[in-house]
Amino acid sequence: MKVQVLQENLQRGLSIVGRAVATRSTLPITANVLLLTDNGRLKLAATDLDIAISAWVGAKIDEPGATTVPSRLIADFVASLPAATVNLEIPERGRQVKLECARNESTINAMDAEDFPKIATLAGGNAIEIDPKALRKAIERVEFAAASDDSRPVLTGVHVRSEGTKLTFASADGFRLAVADIELARAPEEPIEVVVPARALREVSRLLGDAAETVEMRLNTQKTQVQFTLTDVELVAQLIQGTFPNYSQLIPSEYTTRVRVSLEEFRREARIAAIFARDGSGIIRLEIFPGDGMPGRLKVSARADEIGNNEGEIDASVEGDASKIAFNSRYLQDVLGALTGDEVALEMTSPSSQGVFRPVADEGYVHVVMPMFVQW
Amino acid sequence: MEPAPTVLHVDLDAFYVSMELLRHPELRGMPVIIGHPNARGVVSTASYEARRFGVHSAMPSSTARQLCPNAIWLPPDFSFYGPASSAFHAILRDFTPAVEPAGADEAYLDVRGSERLFGTGPEIAATIRARVRAETGITASIGVSANKLVSKVASDAAKPDGMLVVSPGTEAAFLAPRKLRDLPMVGARTAAVLESLGVTTIGDLAALPESLLVAKFGNHGRELRNRAHGRHAGRVAEGRGSARSISRETTFGEDESEAGRLRAILRGQAERIATDLANTGRSARTVSLKLRFPPFETITRARSEGPVDLADDIYATAVSLFDAAWAENGRRPVRLIGVGVSGLQPRARQLRLGETPARDALAGTIAAVREKFGDGSLMRAAELGDRH
Repeated sequence: MKVQVLQENLQRGLSIVGRAVATRSTLPITANVLLLTDNGRLKLAATDLDIAISAWVGAKIDEPGATTVPSRLIADFVASLPAATVNLEIPERGRQVKLECARNESTINAMDAEDFPKIATLAGGNAIEIDPKALRKAIERVEFAAASDDSRPVLTGVHVRSEGTKLTFASADGFRLAVADIELARAPEEPIEVVVPARALREVSRLLGDAAETVEMRLNTQKTQVQFTLTDVELVAQLIQGTFPNYSQLIPSEYTTRVRVSLEEFRREARIAAIFARDGSGIIRLEIFPGDGMPGRLKVSARADEIGNNEGEIDASVEGDASKIAFNSRYLQDVLGALTGDEVALEMTSPSSQGVFRPVADEGYVHVVMPMFVQW
Repeated sequence: MEPAPTVLHVDLDAFYVSMELLRHPELRGMPVIIGHPNARGVVSTASYEARRFGVHSAMPSSTARQLCPNAIWLPPDFSFYGPASSAFHAILRDFTPAVEPAGADEAYLDVRGSERLFGTGPEIAATIRARVRAETGITASIGVSANKLVSKVASDAAKPDGMLVVSPGTEAAFLAPRKLRDLPMVGARTAAVLESLGVTTIGDLAALPESLLVAKFGNHGRELRNRAHGRHAGRVAEGRGSARSISRETTFGEDESEAGRLRAILRGQAERIATDLANTGRSARTVSLKLRFPPFETITRARSEGPVDLADDIYATAVSLFDAAWAENGRRPVRLIGVGVSGLQPRARQLRLGETPARDALAGTIAAVREKFGDGSLMRAAELGDRH
């Protein structure tokens, strides 16, 4: 194997696949990154067996071949090299990779590419094309509400389901539920319903960055794997098997109080209240006062027995009755952070039933948070 | 306005020893050590006679035995000291709600605001000493000054059975001649560093430039210097000792030996405690059970499992503690039974998706009815077991 590649291309490729490298594994080779020549380019790949990321970078292939080297070592090394051409060479039946760049030369012990876990590239099955900005927005709106503990594995994933040209992403950790929709240009050949690990989607969102080209999402025919194909990058993840709870019944269709406020002001008051809440019981209380012709008010407060109290008020358009509800400070901040647009609406029926958050100018998102049952 | 000496540090003199001397008056004047004399034991408390040999609290028993081979050793009997400790703290709370317990046998008080009722700080200190002696039979020493630090040093200096008032403005002069180690916050390591600088008294320490202390100890050095001058900003933590627990007890005129009746009483006590918790908007981390067998043999058992506030949950824990503790004690007739909760915190429970707070709502309704119509207005059928 003999390859010439620009330092900056190699560095970029290594940092992309580095996120899939296993950090704790019983299979030592998964701490390595796979390097192989592929149709006139250099392919880099890494996997922790749950997800795999492959990236292709431009290179001059003098002699085809494949090898694996420790990911941390080569990534740190390449990142420190000057911006110049890197010569990568493995002698016939050699056990070491030789790297030369400018006047720097090193050898790195390699492990045989034959022993590296096979990384599938899915073909066939069921595929859809998704706008990258819409995909990234949907992921960012739901991934944080997925469960972080494994007690119910299916809840650590994001439920992805299609209905015609609508693709719905949903996650729930038992206390809250986030549902985001995407409009597809074309409906999939057959309807989709899978549970994708939230972690895989977080990586997809990161890989998307500011990408403008359409993303392909493909399921294999056995519905055990999903593949996201971006420009020069592929991510393959094992799907989570199991039945995702039927969440539609958890989104109330009616409310007795609806309050509409500036998202920016609500975020600010919640952030201030959170400072007090973190020293107390982590509770932020919301009180809603209709205006009777005048603008109504939303009061945001928190108290910590040993520290003190905080109370903030913002103008609000209130529909329905005066009401109050208390939320876990983190859950409230999470949902306000995920919302976009100028205004947010909160719908509720009682202090002990679901609070429903929606961006006012966007039908495509709803977030349900169960309140804290507190003494008022 | 010149601050008044309103901060008291009250410390019972050789508490455990003094308690033992109440029931063993023949040991007065002798070196008495409370603790286990075996190889791995430590000294809990030593009488002043034993202290003259160099014995002090927390010293390994083996060392104490060498220093004072003739000492009389008694094992600690906490069930005997507990009621006296409670009585002691109750006396303090008669003078101000600002009582900060610092252990079974000591506490800080700030009596500011109580002067019109009970007199000046030194006058209140004198009254407290008289009442402690009259009501518990043992003596207390008290330091009085404008802050906790100086009062603590003063009460140590006043021991035993004494009282020392340090007027505001004279703190530094009071501390100056004292040994370095008398100053709280100066441990063995700090003392060793300071001694290498030629510092032996608190006054020597106060004379060191702040820059030097900061260089040696960082921010700790600045605080050290403040303390050496008798300056201390720590406030008496008000109310820490007030509603830290809620309990209900029933003493029987005739010792009770019937399990059903005892459980029914526990049920009633759990209901009352749940009502108290509901009214103050709190939940509790720990549930405890108290049983007394005649004449005065008292046992307590406690268990902490997540916050509880509902009567059903308090009862479930209390009854399982009771069943185990009663069986252990041969199911003997019971003189007193009681349930308590502690580890109180604001009540709050994160609801799960799809959950309704029906249980909480029922508890709230029951509490509201009892609040309005009295404890007896609404009872669980299970409580009726104790009405023959």
